[in-house]
Amino acid sequence: MNPNNNISQELLEMVERYLNNTMPEHEHNAFENRMATEPSFKTIVEDIKTLLFGIEKQALKEKLEDFHKAIPNISPEKKVTKVRYLYFKLTAAAVLVVAIGSFWFSTQNNSSQKLYTKYFSPDPGLATTMSQNSNYNFYNAMVDYKQGNYKSAIVKWKQQLINKPSNDSLNYFIGVAYLANNEENEAIPFLENVTKNINSTFNRDAFYYLGMTYLKNNKVELAKKNLTFSSIGNSKEILLELDK
Amino acid sequence: MVTAIQSNDQVALKSIYTLNYPKVEAYILKNSGSKEQAKDIYQDAFVAVWSNIKSGKFEVRSESSINGYLYTISKNKWLDYLRSKHYKKTTNLPNQEFNNHSDVNIDEKDDDILKEKRLENVMQAFKGLASGCKTLLTKFYFEKKSMETIAEELNLDPASTRNKKYRCMQKLREIALKN
Repeated sequence: MNPNNNISQELLEMVERYLNNTMPEHEHNAFENRMATEPSFKTIVEDIKTLLFGIEKQALKEKLEDFHKAIPNISPEKKVTKVRYLYFKLTAAAVLVVAIGSFWFSTQNNSSQKLYTKYFSPDPGLATTMSQNSNYNFYNAMVDYKQGNYKSAIVKWKQQLINKPSNDSLNYFIGVAYLANNEENEAIPFLENVTKNINSTFNRDAFYYLGMTYLKNNKVELAKKNLTFSSIGNSKEILLELDK
Repeated sequence: MVTAIQSNDQVALKSIYTLNYPKVEAYILKNSGSKEQAKDIYQDAFVAVWSNIKSGKFEVRSESSINGYLYTISKNKWLDYLRSKHYKKTTNLPNQEFNNHSDVNIDEKDDDILKEKRLENVMQAFKGLASGCKTLLTKFYFEKKSMETIAEELNLDPASTRNKKYRCMQKLREIALKN
């Protein structure tokens, strides 16, 4: 926008009439002629257009807050705090349970395995965009992962991990791949690395899969603890089932 | 429907908004997002759809095509978001390709960026404009009410409403230029 262009009230209103299509034909034609021959005039018209569109766009944005209030609150996300509360009760109950003895544990082992089979599905992986060249190796392994060739994906990612040992994407997907490949003990250290990195995008996912790993290992307490921190996917359902 | 959107018919806009939100929220929650993120992404998408319909970039064939379009844009925006966070984290290594973008359309791109920046400045300026001006300009340019109606609503006479509108526009322009 050019600060030197002074826009008079008449000019503003004329441009508005042009933009609203409310000009008589002869005026409209003269106006367009002027735009074609006078670049500075065209700039003024563009500036005013930007002003009007900016007002509308921002006004709409602010209206959306009103619109949003009309949406009924249906989805269950807010239950997270409740679940956390539950967790404290769960641990208390579990402490008692431990005292009951090994018979109980063997049945619990069975049921946690069942829960694992019922709920586990590997992370769907990231969209493989081959255009980012520096990530070619990463996404190349991702293709293996998505095709279920977990072993091959793990080998490739582990090679990349040598140069970037703390990379959270690598740690996360190696962990998840191990778990999907039924090597849950191998998965644990990789997922743990990511659970410690609270800034990671995969932080909550890592808690989730670490929880699943422990569930598979029949370490119910650790499973619950990690699932509680994840609050994603079906972790709430699993926690509730564990409480049954 | 297009006319309703062109004229910012609030009843129509609101019904499109509330009708399509639940599906988008469900998608984002299922794909590791939060409700807050779902709302942000959806509102961005909604403004983009509105803007594309207004500019003729998207041709509306039926009401259901708007719904589909809104869902697709929301989904793409969410995927972009997931990818960009990922992108930031995995490009710590030197990337030789990074600066080798084709520069064929560089002028055009720069021009677009500049336009986008100007629009952003105006929006920011309008956001912080004094509430009296904001109300008046919203009624006039967004709600498309006539000067007479606005004058009545604000308890002013039409001539001073017209003047006030002009002064508000000058103010807005001044702030936008400073940004």
